[in-house]
Amino acid sequence: MNPSPETGGDVPARHHEVDRQHEGELIESGPRGSAAIAGLLARFQPPPSPRQSVDSTNAPQGPVSGTPAWGLEQLAKAIVSKAAALLDIKEIDTETDLFDAGATSVDAVRLVAVLDRELNVRLSLDDVFADARPRRLAQRWLGSPTKRPLPEAPAATGAPVAPAATGAPELPVASAPSATTTASQGTDIMPTETVTPDETLPVLDDHAEDLALIMADLARADQLPWCGDPEPVPPRRVLLTGVTGFLGGHMLLDLLRHSDAHVVCLVRGDTVQDAERRLAEGLAGFSLPWSAEIRRRVTVLPGDLRRPRLGLTDEQWELLANELDSVVSVAAAVDFLRGYPSLRRTNVLGVLTLAELAMTGRPKPLHHISSIAVFNEIGIASMGEDDPVAHVDRLTAGYDKSKWAAEAALRRARDRGLKATFLRPGGIVGHTRTGAYNPHDINTGLFSAISRYRVAPKINYSNSAPVDWVSRVATAVICEPSGWGQNYHLTGRPDTLTEMVRDQELGGLNVRVMAWDVWLKDFLARCESDPVPELEFMARVLRNPAGQKIVEASVTAPMATGERTEAFVARHKLPPPTRYDAQARLKSYERMARDGLVILPHRDDPPHLWFRETMRGKVGPADGKPDTHCSFALTLSIASMYQLVQHRTIDVRGTVSCSLLHPDPLTVDDGEIWVRPHEGVPHRHGLDHPLLRYRLALRDSDGNGWWLEGWKTARARFDYMKQARTLTIRAGREGEPASLAGTMRVPKKSYKREQIDGIRVNPNLSMREQRIAKLAWLTWFSAQLGQGLLEPTLRAGAELLDLRPDAIDLDKDRYQAKLKQWEKDRKHLR
Amino acid sequence: MTLRPLYAPMDRVTVEQIPFHASDGTELGLSRLIANTPTDQNGTDRPAVLLLHGLTASADMFVLPETRNLVDVLLSAGYEPWLLDWRGSCRLPHNEGRVRYTFDDVALYDIPEAVSYIRDRIGRRQLFVVAHCLGALSLSLSMTGGLVPGLAGVVAQGVFMTPKYSARSRLLGHLGGEWGRSRWTHLPVDFTKVGFRSRYTPMFALASLSAGDCDDPTCHILHNSAWGTGASLYVHENLHERTHNRLAELFGSAPTWIGPHLRRMELAHTAMPWNTAGQGYDQLPENALDSADRIDCPVLLLAGSDNKTFHDSNELCYDILSSRHPDLDVRYVEIPGYGHVDPFIGRGAALDVFGHIVDFLDERSAAST
Repeated sequence: MNPSPETGGDVPARHHEVDRQHEGELIESGPRGSAAIAGLLARFQPPPSPRQSVDSTNAPQGPVSGTPAWGLEQLAKAIVSKAAALLDIKEIDTETDLFDAGATSVDAVRLVAVLDRELNVRLSLDDVFADARPRRLAQRWLGSPTKRPLPEAPAATGAPVAPAATGAPELPVASAPSATTTASQGTDIMPTETVTPDETLPVLDDHAEDLALIMADLARADQLPWCGDPEPVPPRRVLLTGVTGFLGGHMLLDLLRHSDAHVVCLVRGDTVQDAERRLAEGLAGFSLPWSAEIRRRVTVLPGDLRRPRLGLTDEQWELLANELDSVVSVAAAVDFLRGYPSLRRTNVLGVLTLAELAMTGRPKPLHHISSIAVFNEIGIASMGEDDPVAHVDRLTAGYDKSKWAAEAALRRARDRGLKATFLRPGGIVGHTRTGAYNPHDINTGLFSAISRYRVAPKINYSNSAPVDWVSRVATAVICEPSGWGQNYHLTGRPDTLTEMVRDQELGGLNVRVMAWDVWLKDFLARCESDPVPELEFMARVLRNPAGQKIVEASVTAPMATGERTEAFVARHKLPPPTRYDAQARLKSYERMARDGLVILPHRDDPPHLWFRETMRGKVGPADGKPDTHCSFALTLSIASMYQLVQHRTIDVRGTVSCSLLHPDPLTVDDGEIWVRPHEGVPHRHGLDHPLLRYRLALRDSDGNGWWLEGWKTARARFDYMKQARTLTIRAGREGEPASLAGTMRVPKKSYKREQIDGIRVNPNLSMREQRIAKLAWLTWFSAQLGQGLLEPTLRAGAELLDLRPDAIDLDKDRYQAKLKQWEKDRKHLR
Repeated sequence: MTLRPLYAPMDRVTVEQIPFHASDGTELGLSRLIANTPTDQNGTDRPAVLLLHGLTASADMFVLPETRNLVDVLLSAGYEPWLLDWRGSCRLPHNEGRVRYTFDDVALYDIPEAVSYIRDRIGRRQLFVVAHCLGALSLSLSMTGGLVPGLAGVVAQGVFMTPKYSARSRLLGHLGGEWGRSRWTHLPVDFTKVGFRSRYTPMFALASLSAGDCDDPTCHILHNSAWGTGASLYVHENLHERTHNRLAELFGSAPTWIGPHLRRMELAHTAMPWNTAGQGYDQLPENALDSADRIDCPVLLLAGSDNKTFHDSNELCYDILSSRHPDLDVRYVEIPGYGHVDPFIGRGAALDVFGHIVDFLDERSAAST
């Protein structure tokens, strides 16, 4: 129901600069779901905070005519109403975290727009991410010292002014009283009587509140039951959470592959079918299989980590408590913008519920996927498996605090008998084989930013490992009783900046390195001037102060060490941690390029390396004798070594002069050379192996199009130089069959001058980088050419070897020789 | 009869072993498997699937009792598996014998005659073929020679029509193999039979040089050397411990005299017969790629991403077939983290690999109905 004079409020006046009607329409017409988040966020500038809003208009806005005055509770209820309608959820109240209620980042954008448009409450997205409880949102708006001047109360009511709300905001602990109004969709709550604005509400001290909340959450661990040691046998029935996520999905498959366990997957959903569909979609999104064979060994259990007893019935809970022999906690809300209050139900209380399950009935080990974020204090000296974690009061981001609190709570649970294993990954980067990656991982964002802008921040160490390795080691620990109850660092082999820069150099994707703060400014400036939807996630993180601290802590972190993990890996013959080098990241890189997160160099970009190629020869009619002179003046270039090694192609530009085609030289519109097409497999049975294929699209000065195709072919002859220089061509008008044919040759004299000495490299690179690029090209191309030229000769040589006798023949010969010798000896004896 | 009994999980399947000889007199092995459940015993409408092993392996590779094997999965999915031990099987004595054969014989006799026999038994039911390694390569010669028309679909794992080695395998396999074939008739893998003092000891010693933590010489010769070719047959970690312990039963001696045929095909990256025209093998094509238009059924090419034997042969095959013969229904699926033979014998193969095979068979079965 829209506000109306009858219900005590006029339609809020529109403020053009913050009018979100258009945005709302865009959102409502746009796709939902996480895939659309980046696009949606990119379409909207960050909403102005109250301070920005006032500043930007450069004048007090003054009372908005007819806009109702809000009290705290009233506004909170109004927000509940709007959020309920938006999210299509009934069961929320003023203390419900909207993200816990199922809101996504897209919904957050929509809510900000709706609150502004319909309630004239202007919150920023960061406000919603920091604490998405409606009461807190209302408090944040009303309590802000910079909130806009309060509107006049509707004159129609004429009611007396209510007393001002006073006192400090309530601590948002679970026991704190909350507005108990349960929202009913479609019922707008608007002030129906005059209320006095809460001008006295103090500014929120989020950090102090977070600390108080953390302490209250830790106290819950003291209410866990006492339990004994679990039976030290490999698990047969495992509860796994977070299976629709990046790491959880991979761990599910690894658990199935490397153990005989049956896995119970806790998945959100109203029904088993719904949960199963979510699981299948989640796995498919990360290129993981979902088949009848997997379903045989998996039980999908609809539930919710954030709810008491996981949202299960008492019977289900009891059954799990008695049947399970291992609990694996992978699910987490991984969001670097949301505050601790918004993350705690999943990341802390959910883990405590799992601990309770592990400690109820048959004792079970709890394996908890933590994070090296528990060390995310800037300037921390070391990050060893048993080193002290950060001081919680020095952690700034809600995510870091939630991971710290979960570990701290489980440490208390350890004292009560729980066998709790902490598995701490750092950055979890893409799968080395499938390329599946997590687009919301900080490392993915950093790599994406570096690849796109070719500028890198100075990084101490990249404590990251590919998801396949992290998942494999984590599941091995879960399946090995002797490894339970310890701390492990799944950070792999940390990468250094030097190594990363070298990889980029070899790929022809050179980057400049800047100090962190310079890079940050540079990146944000680029995002402002040239916004890229795919980088908006990273831009939002880096615009947010807490997000900035997370990234800064990660790039300035010391090397994470993991002696226990390394020993475990060696003892159990697991794949050792290896560097996530260019080869390992190749698949992810290609996948990120497909998703627009990185840009591969294109033929229209300034070339990485180029040289000239001149050809001369004769052409004639397709079925006649070549008798007309023809010449090519081409420039061959590559945009990167990646193009060469992966696609084996070289770009071609230049001109073709041939009077049979046109009196004027023809321009190469589009041209490509394919090196050893299809590995040089002959087109027809024989010893002629294709070496290079030229394909040129030409245009004459009259605007007519022509095509030209040429082949350099390797044959079983010793004139290798001639074969490497000779190109057999066919050409014809666009869309028509070949009308001309002939043979072109690279003049012997020009070969070295143009194609070796004449190689030019991107002048923006240093001399050293230019030399590396040139040598890399020469090495690769010479090897390909050499292999291609030799193959026919090798085949011919092998045909000679085929004639040699084998061991059976030789044995026969030897037998015959023995017989002869025996005959001779016999005669001799006679 | 010299065929070694099939090592199958008899509690799960019943094996019908069929005495089978090729028309050139060579003894082969053919078996039909039925699940030990009343419904399966009576099922007569199941599409049949013929499984072909690779050189020196045997039908045992499809019925590993220690894992959820391909036969289990096919039976659960409603198919009737048939296993052919062609003449390169380690359940047969031919690889260590004095009678040489080539892949021409497999393509001309073993596969078409097994297909013909099965067709006689199953009537109008569909027949698929799932083939591995050089069984698949031989099948490609049969198919392009028009010797097995009318198959409902083919799955070729590891390699099909375009064998491709690494540079190291070319050197060791083609050049080193040439040296070896004049000295040995075959290269064994079972170190317990060979013993410490034998003429094969240097080969085992070389294979053990980069053995890592594994201390099984049979595993070394297969995983680090693949009979001296410098290839690797599987990703070590993908094997079940019990499978690892019985590698010597799953793989047998490799005949050295078959090397030149393999070399000829590998250097050309093309399946082609050894025997030239006029030697009784005229039904086989001169060059399988040139005759690929004779393939009359959909083909699914499978390969492990870490195949260190035939590397990206099947991806190359897919590229060539789809560009030179665009009318063919050819697909390619890469199995992440798998090597050459572990897509069939790996402990997780049912989870990662067999789903692709069953999906393909189901699709083709549904298409025909």
